[in-house]
Amino acid sequence: MSLQRSMFIHLLKRGLVGRGNRPLIAFVALTVASTMIAAMLSLYSGLESKLNYEFRSYGANVTVAAPDGSSLPEDAVRRAEASVPSGSLVVPFAFAVADSRNRGGVVVCGTDLSRLRRLDSWWLVSKWAVEPEEALVGEKAERRLNKTGEFFDLDFSGRTVHLAESSTVRTGAEEENRIYISLPTFERWTGVTPSLLEVSVPGSPDQVRRTIEGLQSSFVGMEVRPVRQLLQAQGAVVTRMRSVMLASTLLITLTVALCVFSTLTSSVLERRRDFAVMKAIGSSQRAINALFAGEASCIAFAAALIGYVLGSGLAAWISAANFHAIVTPQISVLPTVIACSLILALFAASLPLVQLQRIEPAGILKGE
Amino acid sequence: MFLRLLYQSFRRQQRRKLLSGIAVTLGVAVATAMIAVGVDVGDKINRELRSYGANIVVYPETAALDVRIGDQQIKPASPGSHLRESDLPKIKGIFWGHNILAFAPFLETKTTIDGRQVRVIGTYFDKRLRFGTEEFITGVRKVYPWWRLERGTWPQDDSNTVLIGSGLAQQLHLTWEQASLAGLGQVSGILSTGGAEDFALVVPLSLAEKLANAPNAVDKIYVSALTKPEDAFARRDPDRMNGADRDRWYCSPYANSIAYQLREIFPGARAEQIRQASQNEGTVLAHISGLMLLIAIASLVAASLAVSAAMATTILERRREVGLMKSLGATATTIASLFVTEASLLAVVAGLVGFAFGIAIAQRIGQVIFHSAVAITPVLLPIVIFLALLVTIGGSAAAIRRALSLDPVVVLRGDA
Repeated sequence: MSLQRSMFIHLLKRGLVGRGNRPLIAFVALTVASTMIAAMLSLYSGLESKLNYEFRSYGANVTVAAPDGSSLPEDAVRRAEASVPSGSLVVPFAFAVADSRNRGGVVVCGTDLSRLRRLDSWWLVSKWAVEPEEALVGEKAERRLNKTGEFFDLDFSGRTVHLAESSTVRTGAEEENRIYISLPTFERWTGVTPSLLEVSVPGSPDQVRRTIEGLQSSFVGMEVRPVRQLLQAQGAVVTRMRSVMLASTLLITLTVALCVFSTLTSSVLERRRDFAVMKAIGSSQRAINALFAGEASCIAFAAALIGYVLGSGLAAWISAANFHAIVTPQISVLPTVIACSLILALFAASLPLVQLQRIEPAGILKGE
Repeated sequence: MFLRLLYQSFRRQQRRKLLSGIAVTLGVAVATAMIAVGVDVGDKINRELRSYGANIVVYPETAALDVRIGDQQIKPASPGSHLRESDLPKIKGIFWGHNILAFAPFLETKTTIDGRQVRVIGTYFDKRLRFGTEEFITGVRKVYPWWRLERGTWPQDDSNTVLIGSGLAQQLHLTWEQASLAGLGQVSGILSTGGAEDFALVVPLSLAEKLANAPNAVDKIYVSALTKPEDAFARRDPDRMNGADRDRWYCSPYANSIAYQLREIFPGARAEQIRQASQNEGTVLAHISGLMLLIAIASLVAASLAVSAAMATTILERRREVGLMKSLGATATTIASLFVTEASLLAVVAGLVGFAFGIAIAQRIGQVIFHSAVAITPVLLPIVIFLALLVTIGGSAAAIRRALSLDPVVVLRGDA
């Protein structure tokens, strides 16, 4: 028994390393297949979160509004931050209509300027306001201002504030009608506190909906609303892209597997003489099958490991080049890659073996 | 002799030829499908993103400053100038008219219900318009696909039926059964949009014009257009470009150039891209198209490697044949040209079949996922056949050289 086993291992070793570059073609083919499988699976599993992340650039996807004429509770920002997932962005807004020195009313909005910049990075702004006395002025609101240089004054119930324009704001929407200043300045000047929170919640539309439920329970009496058009567009795009990626993954995997299959089959068929010799000197069919299966498994396993490394690298490179995001290799993909590689190799080896079993060893050795 | 060898090679070795043929066919099919889908996915996703709503807005140059906080109009907008409703069909006639998926005009006015001031928003729902010989349907249902009816049906354009916002319906304590408003006609449905329209009456434009006593008037037009992601060139001012650049800018479907063309048909109007939609759309699109392109390239490389491996195996299997030919006096050039011709024939035939398969797969993907056909450029065929030739010949080359380098005596004795 032990002799048989050592013989088996010896034959296996000879089969793998002692035959020059013949197993190499099978190995290369399987590595290519494993690489593509690993890359596509990694990309597929990371796609949804990446696409969801893309949609964060649109800005807020949830709003929390106080009923008309009232304000949010004082600790609203903190309260909201407690019930949203990490990575969310909560931006408070307070509104008042100020008087612009004989030119009529204009809406002034107090907000957290550094958070605003992160939330609405798509605004066309030449220089974001940072200082307490700086203001972002909507393009249409600017016509109402009585400016000297970049400076202007605004009045609110008898109190004046002196501001400097840091940039105009162009958005193509209602933001252009307003003036944005820092919240502490705004509160000191008007005494009005925030009545609106704009929240950017990361994740899928479903996760956003769950967050909305959480917010609703911590802001009773306030209106918590999803930005419906954003979730709609996000849902549509993510679903479609997931299907496209699934189709691509299946298509590529299947094709590469089939192409590799013919190569593998030939590489086993090529060895019909080894097969015949073994049979002629009295080895059992089972032993031969085990030997060929062992060889195929060893090659497939090694190819799967290398393919996994290469494939993860390929997926990481594609994500880095395209999404500018670093992805960690997905270890969950590895078992699938190994399984695919093994199944492919064993199936490809078993077909010719079945064929060869029916042939007399003498015939093969004679060269027929 | 050469032709006979070629013919016999295909006749005698059908299994082998079939195997490598299948490999080439599959490789070409997947490459074709991936390239076709990858090239077209941008356009498809662009259409999906249009469900976000309008990306261009048109309004009169002299529009009054809107002083509004949330849903509350602080100061009634002074009666500014209007755009003309009769100019609307011309939107389809601009250079990029085919890229205009839909538009919706808006006219806002007020009415009093139970002593309460209520916003009235007039618009098109599913309006049938005609420009030249072309008929098209446009309105809010296309521009804002997320608008939903909680009850009832959408009103007919040009009728006296109205939609009532869900929030307003609650404020007025209006139940569905008794929903008819004095002086306004029949309520046909309760509308929920998640926006300001929830606290307003949304009515056909013709009705709003009657209420506002402003015939043929429109305040704003929201346009949903397929656009190309903005780049540095798109942001330049067309009035300061030279002729050639200006033509190129004008003839690119940037949001900016479509807005420019809209300005030309509405005298005294401003048209601007809605940056939240157009800017972010550009980023998302660029990333998705980039991803598909990279995947297409990766699949191309993988298919090439797989096909090369298949070709190499079949040629290595034919060492004896090479040995025989060599010992009968064939030169290396003759043998190599025989193999290369065989490979080329295989590449062209299998490539054509693969191309047909690939297109079928791409169309299937398009139909199942996007419910529309995938556009296929005819340029793809020569490219794919050329690649197939390159890969099959390239994959065979190393194996041919190796087969030729062997000593015929050794090969024929069966020791190689």
